[in-house]
Amino acid sequence: MASPAPPHSSEHLIANQYLVERSRPVAAVGGLPTFAATDRIGGRTDLIAVQVQRQFPARARAMQALATPIDGLLTPLAYGGSGDACYAIATAPPGPSLAARTDAWTEQELLECVLRPVAHVLEHLQERRVTHRGIRLDNVFQSAPGQPVVLGVAWAAPPAMAQPALFEPPYSAMCHPAGRGDGSIADDVYALAVLLLCLALGRPLLRQLDDTAILRRKLELGTYAALAGDERLPPIVGDLVRGMLAEDPEHRPTPTLLLDPASARGRRVAARPPRRAQRPIIMAGTEVWDARSLAHAMAVEPELGLNAVRAGGVEQWLRRGLGDAQLAARVEELVRHRYLDATPNDSESEASLLMRSVAVLDPLAPLCWRGLALWPDAVGTMLAAAMGTDAETVTRLEEIIEREEIGNWAAMRPDRCDFAVMRVDARHERSWLQQRGQDGGVPRLTYLLNPLMPCASPLVGMRWVAQLVDLLPLLEEAAGRVDQRQVKPVDTHVAAFISARLERRLDSELAASDGKSAEAHYLAQLRLLAQLQLRLHPGPLPALAAWLAAGAGPAVAAWRNRERRAAVGQRLAALTAAGQLAPMLAVVEDPAGRGVDAREAQAAVAALERIDAELDGIAGGAAGRAAAAFRLGQEIAAGLGLITLATVLAMAALG
Amino acid sequence: MAKRSRVKLTAGQPRQHSLVWVQGLLCGALVTLATPTALLLGVLLGPAMIGLVLDGEPGRPTGRSVALFSMAASVEPLKALWTGGHTMQGAANLVGSLDVVATAWSAAAAGWLLAQILPIAMRTVLEALGMTRSARLRAERTRLVADWGLDQVDGAP
Repeated sequence: MASPAPPHSSEHLIANQYLVERSRPVAAVGGLPTFAATDRIGGRTDLIAVQVQRQFPARARAMQALATPIDGLLTPLAYGGSGDACYAIATAPPGPSLAARTDAWTEQELLECVLRPVAHVLEHLQERRVTHRGIRLDNVFQSAPGQPVVLGVAWAAPPAMAQPALFEPPYSAMCHPAGRGDGSIADDVYALAVLLLCLALGRPLLRQLDDTAILRRKLELGTYAALAGDERLPPIVGDLVRGMLAEDPEHRPTPTLLLDPASARGRRVAARPPRRAQRPIIMAGTEVWDARSLAHAMAVEPELGLNAVRAGGVEQWLRRGLGDAQLAARVEELVRHRYLDATPNDSESEASLLMRSVAVLDPLAPLCWRGLALWPDAVGTMLAAAMGTDAETVTRLEEIIEREEIGNWAAMRPDRCDFAVMRVDARHERSWLQQRGQDGGVPRLTYLLNPLMPCASPLVGMRWVAQLVDLLPLLEEAAGRVDQRQVKPVDTHVAAFISARLERRLDSELAASDGKSAEAHYLAQLRLLAQLQLRLHPGPLPALAAWLAAGAGPAVAAWRNRERRAAVGQRLAALTAAGQLAPMLAVVEDPAGRGVDAREAQAAVAALERIDAELDGIAGGAAGRAAAAFRLGQEIAAGLGLITLATVLAMAALG
Repeated sequence: MAKRSRVKLTAGQPRQHSLVWVQGLLCGALVTLATPTALLLGVLLGPAMIGLVLDGEPGRPTGRSVALFSMAASVEPLKALWTGGHTMQGAANLVGSLDVVATAWSAAAAGWLLAQILPIAMRTVLEALGMTRSARLRAERTRLVADWGLDQVDGAP
């Protein structure tokens, strides 16, 4: 087979097979920019390329689970970065989205073309332990009236990120868009019910309300009453939707049950409307009539909510206004424990009190921490979304992880989650976060929790580097752009990225060098990159080698002897051209040579001290020398006199 | 020095007095029994005796040197006195001879001069040796500092 021709500048090649035609944008799928794509090997042209956003990484587990296609769902064919962007290739939707149809659907059409096909897809997804979280009017497609619908892309961005509040249960809609988590298949059933409602009525619902108002209405009235109200619905669809919109996800019918609408219709759910108080409690200027709405108001306005809890207003209202003494007692117990356990000014303890109060008031609610609402499995996607752009959210997330609040939150609702598993996960996240140093902390945790997130280092610019194998060539490119004396090739993001992606844990190298000398830090960097080159990129990297050689000053300076230092510098310079980092490391590190150098340096120091002592003795010995010279001179004079006398006496005696 | 002399005097006073008595007895015997010899030696060794008296250094190094040279110069006149019959006339002739007296006193002067010059010469030699050694050490030090980057311990004079 002939190799494909190189792509033009406006085209990107994914997986060496799929050509993304940036010049041919098509209608957005899954809420993401979408372009036409072609298979250059198989010749298919009915493909699309969905552009993945840098801060909103694709769902790795969902993409893995969908490697085997499912009928009625757009599944990924290929995925990869090209240049400064990343695309997911999928089969193009069979037709326009359902948002394009404005007429009301018949009950038969709803059951045969929407409910059964989607339930079939959800059943498969449930078997594969993934969710869709993208069922909405503009992400469900139909080739022609009377044909089964096809669910759109929902794996190229964090779960439910593009879902409007209308299609999400209140406990998900109140979260940060990137913090909704995978959820459960029951949440997809909920979204399917809203979709059925919209189609049955022939128009989107609650168009006049924004997301906040829709959420508040759902909480106050219950979803079915809030959406369907007094609308006339086809009888079977009406009954099905009532069960599918149950507030408690455990009460919603399963996809398998929905495959048989008659049976599902017969399954009655005791969906009681929210318990309404006799008198409201005012929270942030708004009247609140039920416990779940109060929980939501407290989560949105944490300061006001905390004041109300501490002042006993919430407990009183629960007891006297709502008439729920049991709930009031639980809130009162939380407040009492908080005052027993912590100092009065401990702000994080107060945030924890509010989080627990919200969890007590609304057991379905997500984790609410200082105005931030998220599901625990969405910590990673939230970190990715906030990293570099929203420091406050990152701080909140750090607090949650540092205090293991996920475990504390799970402990408040053990019947709705696996408390032990969540506690262990929280502990893992905390230990990852606590690893300090260049390759630790928030960046490393973010990369760990988002396996498909690209490296955000300024060194790689806007290039998409999601795999380690792509990193070294881009560092090689970056070597020509940066000031090699000022910028190091392993910055915080590169270190964290390598640490998170490398199978074998080399992160201890960088962590061990943290806080130590510049030499140790340099050697750790060189060792790390040399290992990467050996394992992933055997080719030469001369520019990167030159970059590392330019920064080798501290390591070369560690050699004490001048001649050896010069020799090491010369050998480094000679090895730079070859572009192999391991030999450079051997030259700079050289334990045997360093040992000899250190020993000789010690001997030199000792010799210098001896010389200094002798010079001091010479400089301060003038008086001693003068005295010795006097004595010696006198003795010599006396000796000469004695010799003269002896000679004269001998001459006189001999005649 | 003065303190040391005073201490020495105090400690050895009885013994020195006995030596002085012995010396005085010997001198008296010499003057009485060998008056010509005493006259000749008194003149020829006069500078030596003055030097010994005036030399305050321990061991009287200058006086000792002057005395030894004077004694060397006195041997020949003394031999001439004794071979000439050891008479007062002979002693007077020798004492009156300018050559004899000048030679003895010149020898004494030479002894004094050597005692003064030789310490200075020795000091010059020792200083020269010290400077040579110092220069060699500084060169070695400079080489060590340059080769091993030992500037931080460069505190030598």
